[in-house]
Amino acid sequence: MQQQEQILCAILDAGELLLTAGAEVARVEDTIRRMAAAYGFGRADVLTITASMIVTAQSNDGAVLTQTRRILRRETNMRQIEAVNALSREVCAHPMPLEQFHARLDAVRHMDDGPRWRQPIAYLIIAGAFAVFFGGTWRDGIAAMLCSIVLYFIGQMGARIDLQPLVLTTFSAAAMCLAAIVTVWIGLGQGLDYIIIGNIMLLIPGIAFVTSLRDMIVGDTISGLLGAFEALLRALAIAAGCALVLMQLGGTV
Amino acid sequence: MTEEMILQVAVAAVGAFGFGLLFRVSGGRLLTITLGGAANWIFYLLAMQAYADRVLAFFLSALATAVLAEILARLLKTPVITLLVPMLVPLVPGGDLYYTTFSLVRGDMEAFGQYGSMVIREAGAMSFGIILVACGVQTAMKIWMLRKEHGEKDTK
Repeated sequence: MQQQEQILCAILDAGELLLTAGAEVARVEDTIRRMAAAYGFGRADVLTITASMIVTAQSNDGAVLTQTRRILRRETNMRQIEAVNALSREVCAHPMPLEQFHARLDAVRHMDDGPRWRQPIAYLIIAGAFAVFFGGTWRDGIAAMLCSIVLYFIGQMGARIDLQPLVLTTFSAAAMCLAAIVTVWIGLGQGLDYIIIGNIMLLIPGIAFVTSLRDMIVGDTISGLLGAFEALLRALAIAAGCALVLMQLGGTV
Repeated sequence: MTEEMILQVAVAAVGAFGFGLLFRVSGGRLLTITLGGAANWIFYLLAMQAYADRVLAFFLSALATAVLAEILARLLKTPVITLLVPMLVPLVPGGDLYYTTFSLVRGDMEAFGQYGSMVIREAGAMSFGIILVACGVQTAMKIWMLRKEHGEKDTK
């Protein structure tokens, strides 16, 4: 009995890792169900939305176990999704002992995030590339890169003091617009629009939107709607942040 | 292809690479995503040349890219979403979202309506493309599973 509870808890750990790494809800539910079956639960009912997970599993000796998780923060970590995916394939083929399962989960949780410069470099590349993509000159690209540094540091600080994501997005958008205006003002940037758009691509919740659409198709209407609405709110927050700055200073450059 | 188009495809690829990096995609898949981002914008340009309709081109490009991502994901044995999202990034209507905000700030309600509806139509066309492919794949998988079950029964 005790053993089964711990197994279910570990399975939920795996599901939580998937969900917080940005996997689709359908994948999370499917993974939990398969792993529960592999560990000998005759039936597992899983309900996952982007904010919570509920599992009720019935073991073959008649015990019924229910556990829930509250999900607060999600980010995108494709490497973690892949790792949990691989682990679950392994578990389904040959269920491993609980200690080993725990160890493997821990390994995924504390997985090497890659070099520290990976995120800032990604910010630079994305902002620069999309400023040019949407019609800016190479000088706009460089200006956009400078603004993305501002964006990166505000994001880091916001994460440290645990700022609400929506508030953080508004602040980031406002600060980034301000930085863009400064780059044009000192004569580096030429097209303010392109510099800002390049950086907006960093803030836009493209991934949340696509995952929520996929959720809706496979029948997870609640999670799909939640995700799509979250994405819409994020887009509005970006617009509000930009509007805040541009309304005051938009005409000066 | 004009010089401008080549530049666009090149920076679309670089942008997709950046998002791959941001989402912590590892190793050889980064290269796949970079090429996929370029392919995505080439699909768009081709569709644009054939139909000269921005919204339709968004739809067709998203459709083709989603098919490509589904195939590549099965070849590389990785969840579809790890490839699909970075590859679709060039289609994210960041530009029109900005122009919508900007025209609202300036009080130009006519432009606001135009850009606003453009964002909705572009995002809609893109998601419709993704949805169609996801539905198609789901149906194909179901049929394949059913046939496999039938095949097993027949051999018994």
